[in-house]
Amino acid sequence: MDLPLAFDSQLATQLLVNGLTLGSLYALIALGYTMVYGILKLLNFAHGDVYMVGAFVGFGVLNAFGGPLSPNIAIAPLIALMFLGAMLGSGALGVVIERFAYRPLRDAPRIAPLISALGVSFFLQNSVLLLFGASFRSYNSFLLGSDHPQQFVPGPLTDAAFVVNGVNVQLVQIIVLALTFGLMVALTLLVARTKIGKAMRATAYDREAAAMMGIDVDRVIASTFLIGSMLAGAAGVMFGLLFSQIFHFMGFLAGLKGFTAAVVGGIGSIPGAMLGGILVGLAEAFATGYAGGRWSDLIVFGILIFVLLVRPSGLLGTRAIQKV
Amino acid sequence: MSERSLLELRAVEKAFGGLAVVSDLDLHVDEGEIVSVIGPNGAGKTTVFNLITGIYRPDGGDILLDGVNVVGLAPHVITRRGIARTFQTLRLFLNMTVKENVMAVQYGRTNATVVESIFRLPRARREEREMNRLAEEKLAFFGQRLIGYRWDQPAYSLSYANRRRLEIARATATQPRILLLDEPAAGMNPVETHEMTELIGKLRDEGGYTILVIEHDMHVVEGISDRVVALDHGVKIAEGSFDTVATDPRVVEAYLGLRRAKKK
Amino acid sequence: MDSGNIPDLPVPPDARDRPRVGVDEWVAQVEHRRARYSGLAGLAYRGISFIPPPGRLALFAAFAATLPLWMGRGDLFTYGIFTLLYALLGLGLNVVVGYAGLLDLGYVAFFGFGAYFYAELSSPQYGIHWSSAAAIPVVVVATALLGLVLGISSRRLLGDYLAIVTLFFGQAFVVFVNVGNPTVGGKGLSGGPNGIADIDPLDLFGYELTTRNQQYYFLLLSVVVALVGLHTLSESRTGRAWRALREDPLAAETMTIPVKRLKLMAFAFGAGIAGFAGCIFASVLTAVTAGNFDLPLLITIYAVVILGGLGSITGVVLGAIVINVSFQFLAPENPQNNARILFYAVLLLLLILSLRPWWRLGAVVGGVVGFGILTRLIVEAVAPSWAGGPVVEGGRLAGAIKEWVVIPTPAHDRFGNWAYVCLVVAILILTLVQGWMRTALLVPIVYLAAVVWENSFVEQPAVARWILFGSLLIGLMTLRPQGLLGTPRVEVV
Repeated sequence: MDLPLAFDSQLATQLLVNGLTLGSLYALIALGYTMVYGILKLLNFAHGDVYMVGAFVGFGVLNAFGGPLSPNIAIAPLIALMFLGAMLGSGALGVVIERFAYRPLRDAPRIAPLISALGVSFFLQNSVLLLFGASFRSYNSFLLGSDHPQQFVPGPLTDAAFVVNGVNVQLVQIIVLALTFGLMVALTLLVARTKIGKAMRATAYDREAAAMMGIDVDRVIASTFLIGSMLAGAAGVMFGLLFSQIFHFMGFLAGLKGFTAAVVGGIGSIPGAMLGGILVGLAEAFATGYAGGRWSDLIVFGILIFVLLVRPSGLLGTRAIQKV
Repeated sequence: MSERSLLELRAVEKAFGGLAVVSDLDLHVDEGEIVSVIGPNGAGKTTVFNLITGIYRPDGGDILLDGVNVVGLAPHVITRRGIARTFQTLRLFLNMTVKENVMAVQYGRTNATVVESIFRLPRARREEREMNRLAEEKLAFFGQRLIGYRWDQPAYSLSYANRRRLEIARATATQPRILLLDEPAAGMNPVETHEMTELIGKLRDEGGYTILVIEHDMHVVEGISDRVVALDHGVKIAEGSFDTVATDPRVVEAYLGLRRAKKK
Repeated sequence: MDSGNIPDLPVPPDARDRPRVGVDEWVAQVEHRRARYSGLAGLAYRGISFIPPPGRLALFAAFAATLPLWMGRGDLFTYGIFTLLYALLGLGLNVVVGYAGLLDLGYVAFFGFGAYFYAELSSPQYGIHWSSAAAIPVVVVATALLGLVLGISSRRLLGDYLAIVTLFFGQAFVVFVNVGNPTVGGKGLSGGPNGIADIDPLDLFGYELTTRNQQYYFLLLSVVVALVGLHTLSESRTGRAWRALREDPLAAETMTIPVKRLKLMAFAFGAGIAGFAGCIFASVLTAVTAGNFDLPLLITIYAVVILGGLGSITGVVLGAIVINVSFQFLAPENPQNNARILFYAVLLLLLILSLRPWWRLGAVVGGVVGFGILTRLIVEAVAPSWAGGPVVEGGRLAGAIKEWVVIPTPAHDRFGNWAYVCLVVAILILTLVQGWMRTALLVPIVYLAAVVWENSFVEQPAVARWILFGSLLIGLMTLRPQGLLGTPRVEVV
């Protein structure tokens, strides 16, 4: 490990910005995991691949309009459409997965939907591999809206929106942070204020009782998957915009980290997922910055195991009370 | 009473969060007695069982088995010392057979190691035969209902009443000195209830067990009890023979409300 | 308060007009029997449970012993040795998941640890060359201790949290070995991404096992010993205690069973078996890399255990055979003809299993063939470029397939992809319809499956393998969650 000799505040600020951006992605993915777990007690291992599909749908929309170099459409509406398409596509995929791979297993032993989820994960990853091939696809987002695309001069997305402590905060990072914040606020309002949100909370608390109170449990569960998957789809497009390269296997590690975030924050707790995501993102950014990429994954896993051993239900999770 | 009680609770306290579920409870059961614990729902009766068997740890007080304090011991140790229980909501090993249910709980009484079990060494074989014999014996206690072809049937195929009997049989297979029965007659029709009443008496007379029973059905309580203890909101409100307790105004109030108590 | 009426003494239960003990129970258990013995799988189950365990073991051992006599060395390696390794790993995992009910998602890390530790002890890595008779026990004990450590650290965790921690433990192992690779004694401990190579072959008391046959028989002997040992263990007080623990840990704890200690024992035991398998793996392959011990292998072993039904030793062995044979058939290195034969055979088998009376089966099969030929003729007449393509790696069946399946010329290379998407959607729709519509829909769907196979899967067998494996897992779980040989379990939620 290379430890810096002096505390470099510029490096720290850069890592902070990177960490928050990365953390936004993980938080969005973590929300999907946590919502599904809260309502079904299911660890949805296919969620990372829904995120991956979202990235590919965004890529499809981008290409449908001619790619990053095309003058057909201004970049603001283009990006909006990419997000919309990805969210709709991922959302639909999530609902279909629930309907066919999990619903028949509601009353089966707990390991059955877990295995089914793993099957879905293999299926999705390799289907994308079959259909798109193994080579990486590129959003080439740095060329989006560029004035001189032929010379590969970057476009407005990578421009500095503003500068903090000598560190450039790119426009794309601002977009990611702002959109994540907006989505989180929307979700919190949805869960706290709307009827469907109330139904979700009731179903998460006690599924049978909710059904007896007239709540359409199937619909609530489908909505949960829809929302969680939409958030994952948005995260997929964000990844493409930030890092350009997408590939069929990207859902695995991102899903794992998003899952870590959900567990660290307390699985089943929505604010926990948001907090956990930010924490994992920051941890990864700082670990990569100070310890090198080789160790950052291990450090993140180490943090998870440590948190779980010290506080088994996660930072904001509630201890399940078992009545004897 | 010159003899020491078999089971004694002294000033036992338990609170969950801010709610005091058991307060300053004194309870004793002498050898060979059948004591019933009654009280409305939420009175803390099952909590008392959980405290005795070590599932919860009391916040204060002592629990003495034959004079020895068992507070803080793990549940499986307490059961080995001689306290066995059944559960209000039936907790059988549903996917195991009837006989396996009764044999599994003899783990604490046997000592064959993994190596001895794998190679079927003499001690393992001997203990296996013993466990088999004891299981059959304990199951036969219930007459025709749980023997013969029943031995190899999965527990989930049993009727409700038979499941209750199996749960009791399983508890007796741990060779306890005192049996804690949590609502043994719950959900039974009058015929089955009557059988259960007789069974409890038989457990004490032929089996030699000391018995502490939680029960709601007053017919059963009347039919079996040497002594009755009434709880309400975690506090003991009456103790004595069935007739004494049943007519105690505090008990009537706890069950039926103040006006009925005043009517008496 | 009145004392109530004590009813008359009850009539003996076997009296004429009262429910009959035994007889009526038999009637009440109709559902249970039906679930156990449904369909062809039920027939197999009945057949297998008819033979007592010693008989099954003898049959298996006898059959397996004949393998080297008729299999080539390469086949013996992929089919024989790997199946046995999967079986061994499955047996170990079965103790943890099937007996004690602990969801350990990091199990292959023990396998990897065993392999790497053995490699450290018997290779040029550090110049240590212990004989296997010394190395294997040390590795097994060390792996068991590691299992114990993992078990201790997860004592307070229930169910899902245990799964999570073990999953990350497994991932941490892979990352540690691959990327962490700390420098110990002047060298990278685990060899990084390249792993450790040139591992010594098995060396027992001076006798070296260098040929595939020798290795195979040693592994077979180990598996047989493990089968016997696990069977006797399952029927003993420890096995019963484990199963009780799986059923209801709280009830078990109040019934003299020391739950924590038994969980640790299960972890340690399962880990020890995995460690042993790791030693054999390392010495047979003579090289180990982190990639061998990652999630895909974990899922494969879980599939092995679950396919046969959790907790069933026979099931694990059968699961290992089925999974490994199918995998190898679909391996990229294999000549495509094998895979093709397997594919059509499985398709046919699925039809046989799901279509009763025989005339319906015949109608569908005939319909598929006829539909195909007809479609191809029409397409050839209307748009020739869509039907003139070559059959990839056709072999003996190429001629027949050419007449039947629509294979466009390479100009329409997206055809396979679109066909695949249509097939997935069609299969989902198939699960939603019932009755005669479902049977009718089967015809074009089966044909479409063949089209997708010939146009897309056959060219990318590695990818196809995983797609089919994933679909198998989904299908198996949704249709029969108890596994092929398992009995429906009653779960206390």
